[in-house]
Amino acid sequence: MSHSLNQTTESEKIRVRLYRFDPAIDQAPRYDSYEVPRTPRMRIMDALNYIHEDLAVDFGYRWLCSTKKCGTCAVNVNGSPRLACWEEAESDMTIEPLSHMPVVRDLVTSRDSFETALSTLSPLIVRKTEYAGFPEPLTAVDMAPTEHLRDCIQCLACQAACPVLDQADSGFAGPALLVALSELAQDPRDGEDRARLASETAQVFKCVSCYECERVCPAEIPIVREAIEPLKRLARPTGTSPGAKRADAFLAVVEERGYANGALIAMRTKGVTLSAIRLAVRMALRGKIDLVEIFLKRASTKVGALRRTYESSKENK
Amino acid sequence: MSRKYAYFPGCSAKGTCKELDVSTHAVASLFGIDLQELENPGCTGAREFRAISENLHLTANGRILALAERLGQDLVAVCDTCLLNLVETNQRLKADAKARDMVNRALAEEGLAFEGVIEVKHFLWVLTEDLSEDELRQRIVRPLRGLQVAPFYGCHIQRPASVYGADRRDETPALDRLCLLLGAEVVQYQGANKCCGFHVVGAEEKIAVQMSGRHLTNAKSNGAQCIVTPCPLCHTVFDAYQPNIERQFKTRYEVPVLHVSQLVGLALGLSVEAVALSRHVVGCDSILAHIGYGANSAATAANPPSA
Repeated sequence: MSHSLNQTTESEKIRVRLYRFDPAIDQAPRYDSYEVPRTPRMRIMDALNYIHEDLAVDFGYRWLCSTKKCGTCAVNVNGSPRLACWEEAESDMTIEPLSHMPVVRDLVTSRDSFETALSTLSPLIVRKTEYAGFPEPLTAVDMAPTEHLRDCIQCLACQAACPVLDQADSGFAGPALLVALSELAQDPRDGEDRARLASETAQVFKCVSCYECERVCPAEIPIVREAIEPLKRLARPTGTSPGAKRADAFLAVVEERGYANGALIAMRTKGVTLSAIRLAVRMALRGKIDLVEIFLKRASTKVGALRRTYESSKENK
Repeated sequence: MSRKYAYFPGCSAKGTCKELDVSTHAVASLFGIDLQELENPGCTGAREFRAISENLHLTANGRILALAERLGQDLVAVCDTCLLNLVETNQRLKADAKARDMVNRALAEEGLAFEGVIEVKHFLWVLTEDLSEDELRQRIVRPLRGLQVAPFYGCHIQRPASVYGADRRDETPALDRLCLLLGAEVVQYQGANKCCGFHVVGAEEKIAVQMSGRHLTNAKSNGAQCIVTPCPLCHTVFDAYQPNIERQFKTRYEVPVLHVSQLVGLALGLSVEAVALSRHVVGCDSILAHIGYGANSAATAANPPSA
């Protein structure tokens, strides 16, 4: 950082390249450049406010609380999603709308597809038993697994950062929806079939485990460990997706052999397909897979104390 | 000075990427580094165990850590995903007495126990942190002569911050620095810190191929002559699946993909055989020619391994 937080000099200017696009009027997006004088502890939001108010630029951007609560001000800054009201302005910023959502105008994106997708996940508690009245018999221990998930402000920074969502037709719900679903799935009061919703509707097994969502989450939610993996644990026993089957195949192969074998796991997940044969031949020619080892070698690896752990993990099925 | 580490190769280095195991040992021996391979260590569970049962995840990784502790040495991994499982479990079991007791009850059957007395590191960090730059520089006999290298770090050597901290994220240019030290040039491209998609490639190939294809396209269009990665899973997607990527993107890439230990080994004068460079789907002749590897030796790279 070249700036000290408490000092500013008159010459210090922040350069902002601002994304401008009104789909009703413009053929294509453009970028306008502005210089903004740096002020102490300046946030991205302050730079946007200066352009709007002091430079009298009429552009669309969204914010409500300015205190990391409402989740409406997330934008892409230099290619990475940030909450504008919460992060420090950089000296050189290209500010764009969040990815993976249609632009309404300039930095304002439509949340409609997110809201619609959320509505397909039965987003309220479906009670196992009738509401018994206040106070509910809940303990801190009951609610501990969802403690961090409840910090989500649905700013959708994680949705914008998710590389699976780069593919519009992936079928994957994305991290913010999985956080919402997982919060309900781990709620002791809920009786909805969350396993099916996780596996089929949200397609949780398409998560690539890249942790990009956690990298950008302003609420610092451990999304993979506390939202996505619990959903996978819930969905695996009934899941029919290739991802759910792959988890079973992985455990079975490791139990037999002591280590994973990609070719064997693939065969048990999807069967022997033409593309799998092509891949196997290509790899075998370079000595990358050993067909003898796959088909003839029998388990000889002792996994000692793990035997019992493997057994009990399978019983969860 | 002799350095000793416990060594967990993982399923790639013992299976689809044996060249990683070979080249890691070859480079280690140049520095007198003794990598003692764990006996029957099992599997860290990749991304599967943790998504099946937390107990399974912690016990499987706790057992590997306990085996390394029995050798009394820090543990070296050569796969990003193994690394994350082991580093994360090591932190968790050191901090969480309840989880530690649960693991130790299971390990007692074998007379093993997790005590929390070692650290886990990637072999890349051994090269860039445990060795000095001078130690490396002095051994360079075949500088990489401006070879355009695109580093691909992989996710699990740098994320999540809750495991690695912000420091490790800032530290990721370790591979950039290593490439520069060896005389290569580092290709700047979008994708160096992104995801290859390996963990869904078996079940949802299209997702992984689209993701990795984008990075490959970026690397190539910014002049990359090769990709180098500390992770054999990323290697597998970029190398073994490169023909699939080519079909999807209707582009001929022919970008070789090297393990870190292979690139280092070549610069330190090791032969093509010593770093097992012929065990790739995408041939490496173009980079051998660039760094002036002997014409005769270059020819051997095109042939299947003798072993």
